[in-house]
Amino acid sequence: MTDLWPRVEPLLAQVERPARYLNHEWGSGVKEDADFSFCMIYPDTYELGQANQAVRILMNAVNATENLRAERGFLPAVDMCDLMRAEKLPLFSLESCAPVSEFDVVGITLPHELCATNVLEVLDLAGIPVLSADRAEEDPIVLGGGPCAYNPEPFALFFDAITIGEGETATPETLQLIRSLRKQGASRREILVALAKLPGTYVPSLYRWRSEEEAQAAGCWIEPLEEGLPTLIEKRVFEGFAESWGWEPCVVPYTEVVHDRLNVEVLRGCARGCRFCQAGMMYRPVRERSADNIVESVIKGLDETGYDEVSLTSLSTTDHSQIADILTRINSYCDGKGVRISIPSQRLDSFGIELAELVAGQKKGGLTFAPEAGTQRLRDVINKGVTEENLFSAVDAAFSSGWRRCKLYFMIGLPTETDDDIKGIARITQQVLERARKIVPPEQRGSIQVGISCAVFVPKAQTPFQWDGQIAPEEAMRRVNLLRHSIKFRAINVGWHDPKTSFVEAVMSRGGREVSQWVYTAWTKGARFDAWTELFNQQAWIDAADELGIDSAAIAQASYETEYVMPWSHISCGVSTKWLAHERKKATAEKTTPDCTFGPCSGCGACQSVGIENQLSEPRTKNELLGLSEGEIAVEQEVNHE
Amino acid sequence: MSDPALFRLRFRFCKQGRLAMLSHLEVAHALERAVRRAGLPFAVSCGFSPHMRIAFGAALPVGVGGTQEIFDLLLKEYVAPQKALEALRATSAPDMMPYEAYYVEHNATAASVCYPVSDYVAVLTKPIDNLQVPESISVIRKKKEKVIAVGEYLLDGPHVEGNIIKFTLVAKNSGSLRPDLLLSECLKLSGSDARISNITRVDQREQ
Repeated sequence: MTDLWPRVEPLLAQVERPARYLNHEWGSGVKEDADFSFCMIYPDTYELGQANQAVRILMNAVNATENLRAERGFLPAVDMCDLMRAEKLPLFSLESCAPVSEFDVVGITLPHELCATNVLEVLDLAGIPVLSADRAEEDPIVLGGGPCAYNPEPFALFFDAITIGEGETATPETLQLIRSLRKQGASRREILVALAKLPGTYVPSLYRWRSEEEAQAAGCWIEPLEEGLPTLIEKRVFEGFAESWGWEPCVVPYTEVVHDRLNVEVLRGCARGCRFCQAGMMYRPVRERSADNIVESVIKGLDETGYDEVSLTSLSTTDHSQIADILTRINSYCDGKGVRISIPSQRLDSFGIELAELVAGQKKGGLTFAPEAGTQRLRDVINKGVTEENLFSAVDAAFSSGWRRCKLYFMIGLPTETDDDIKGIARITQQVLERARKIVPPEQRGSIQVGISCAVFVPKAQTPFQWDGQIAPEEAMRRVNLLRHSIKFRAINVGWHDPKTSFVEAVMSRGGREVSQWVYTAWTKGARFDAWTELFNQQAWIDAADELGIDSAAIAQASYETEYVMPWSHISCGVSTKWLAHERKKATAEKTTPDCTFGPCSGCGACQSVGIENQLSEPRTKNELLGLSEGEIAVEQEVNHE
Repeated sequence: MSDPALFRLRFRFCKQGRLAMLSHLEVAHALERAVRRAGLPFAVSCGFSPHMRIAFGAALPVGVGGTQEIFDLLLKEYVAPQKALEALRATSAPDMMPYEAYYVEHNATAASVCYPVSDYVAVLTKPIDNLQVPESISVIRKKKEKVIAVGEYLLDGPHVEGNIIKFTLVAKNSGSLRPDLLLSECLKLSGSDARISNITRVDQREQ
C-alpha cells in the first residue's frame, strides 16, 4: 500500500492538534500476515471516535481473524480536510498511513443521525465515489453499521451493504465472504448479491423503493430486484457476549479524547423499556458478563493501558446482578493507586449515593439525574418508572453527602406532552433547589448549582414512539421559553439543545430512501460536521429540501396510527412491531410495563427472534447493599469530568 | 515535590520523530501512563483528586523535539535506578524513550525550572546565507499583545551552517521565547523561503 506519511508530515505544522494524525499510540499496530484489508472508519474527528466501542471491538475482531487485517481511519478536522483537498492528499488510514481507497473494504460506523454528511465527506476525501451506484469494480466495498443502521434508508445511496446488529461475528464473516468471492474473481454485483443473502446484511441497491401507497398496501417498502433475496433483515447478535473476555486490547491515545479511559463493557442490553429509547430496544436481550470476568478484565486493562480511570460501561450498569461484588473488588484493587472508577449511567436512590461514593471516592463534581419528564403522568407515558420521591430522596442524599452541583435532564416534545408537563419541569426543579438549600449548611449555599438540560424529543425507529411526530422547532422553542419563564429562581440555569439540529435528526431518524438524496444534496451544498454546533449549516439542508421538493417537516413531524408501515419495517431488531404498537397504546393509557430482567416476560419478542434469552450472572433482585431495585431514578454521574 | 519520606527518581528521555508533534500536556499524560504500565511504586497525592506524584521538565512547544528531556517521579519505596529504567523502557513508545534514571535530593529544584538554558538545533528545508535576528517579536497571549525583546532570551547564536541552525535560549521568571517562533521570525525577516523541517532541544542546563 502507498505510504502517504511523507506527504502528511509537512502539513501537520499547519493544523490544530496534529496528534490526531500521528498513529504510533501505545497499543496500535499493523497485522503483518494478512492479505485482505479493512479500514474501520469513524465519521468524525479522532478525539470523538478513538474511544468508540464499535471501532475497538471490530478492529480486534477483524485482526483476530485469519487473513484479515484492520486499520483505523477518522475524518480529519475541518482545517485538515481543507488542507488535504488543497494538497490533493487523499484520506489515509492511521496505522499504515495508506490511502483509504486502497483497502479492500471500508467500514463506516453510524453512531448518530447527524453523522450522515460526514460519511460523504469521508468517501469524497478518500476518492471513493460517494454514491454506491457510481463505484467501479476495483473500488472498495463500503460497509455500514451501528445504531443508525436500524433505519438504513437515509444512508441507502452511499453504502454497498449495511450490517444490522452486533458486529463481533458478523463483520469478520462479511469480510471473509468478500475475500473469498474476490479471490474467485466475482464481480461487484455478484458480491453484493451474496452479501444480501448473508444474515443481518442489507444491500439497498438490490431493492426497489416503493411508493407510499404501494408500501402500505404491500406491508413493506422494499421490493427485491432479484429472486431469493430476503425482505426482512434480522439483526445479528453476538451470542458469546456473556462469556467473552471483558478486556480486549485497545489503543491508548496521546491527545485528549472523549471517554479517555479504560472502558469495560459489563453488560449489554437494557430491558427497562423506556418507550423513547432506541438502544433499549435494539440491544435486547440483556446479557451480563460475570463478576470474575469483569474484575479480572479491569485489572488486566489498567495494567496494560496505564489508564487512571476505568468506566464500567453499559446502558444500565447498576442493574448488573453482581454490581456490589464487582465494585467492592475493583475498589479494593484500586485502593491507593489514584484510579477513579466511574459508571456512565446508573440508577440510584438514597442508598445509591453510597454507590456513588464508592465509585467516585472523595471527588464530588456534578451529578446528572434524568427524570426525563416533569410530571408523573408523562413519566408513566414514557415508561420511565420513577417517581418524584425517588428523585427527591436521591437529591437529598446527594447534597447531604457533599455534592453541590446537580443537573436534571429532561426531554421536551414527548408524545402527549402538555404545557402542564413543561411547567412540571420547572416545579420539580425548583423543589430540588429548595431541598438542596435546606440541606446544605448556610455558609456553603452559594456553591449550590441546579441546572436543567433539555433535549427535543427525536422519535426513533424501532421504538414504541416511532409513529409519533416531532414537534416543530418553533413549538420546541415556545416550550423552552415557557419553561424558562416558569422558573422563579435565577439560580437555576436552563440549557437546551438546538431544535434546528434536532429537526434534522428527526428527519434522518424517520425518513425513507428519499432522505438519502436529501443528505447527498445538503452535502453538495456545504453541510458537514452537523453535530458540531458551530459548523451546522441549516441553510444547506433547507436549500436541499427545496431543490428536491422534499417536505422535510412532514417527515419529521407527521404522526401515524400504529398500523402504518414505517420505512424501516424490513429491518428487525428482534422486538416485534406488534409489541411496539401495544406499548404505544399503553403509553396513551399511561400504563407502565415492568422490566423483564426483574420479573416476568413482557412479550417483546426479542428472545424468540434472536434465539437467546436474557443471560444474567445471578437472578436480579433488590440489592441490599446498594438499595437498588426496579423503578429508581436514572442518574448519569459526571464526577470524573469536572 | 519535597517529601523526605519519598524517593525522587529523575528520568531523562527523548521526544522525537512523530511524537515531537505532541504538546506538553500530551507528553505528560503519555509519561504518566507509561509509569503506570511499568508497575513502578509511584506515590499518590492525598488531595481532593488523588493523582500520581510526578513533575515534568520545561515544556517544549508542539513540533519541537528534545533529546535531554526530564521528569521526576516520587516513589514510595526505593527501586534501583537501572531496574526502574528497564521497567519503564519496556512500556514506553520508541519515540518517547527514557534512557537514564538517577535519584535526586528530595528538595532539589523543580524539574520545570532547574535547567533554564536550552540549546536548540534546527534543520531547514534549504541552506540560508544571511539569517537576520529581529530585535523584538510581537506575540498575542490571552488576547493581549506582548512584545518580547529577543536579546533578553537569546543567549547564543544563531549559528548557521548550511541548512543547520544552532542557538541557545534562556527561560526567565518573566517568561520565555519559543524556539520555533524565533526561528520563523528570523526567516521572515531574512526574506528566505526556507521552511523549518524540525527543531530539537539538544541540551538543557543550569545558567
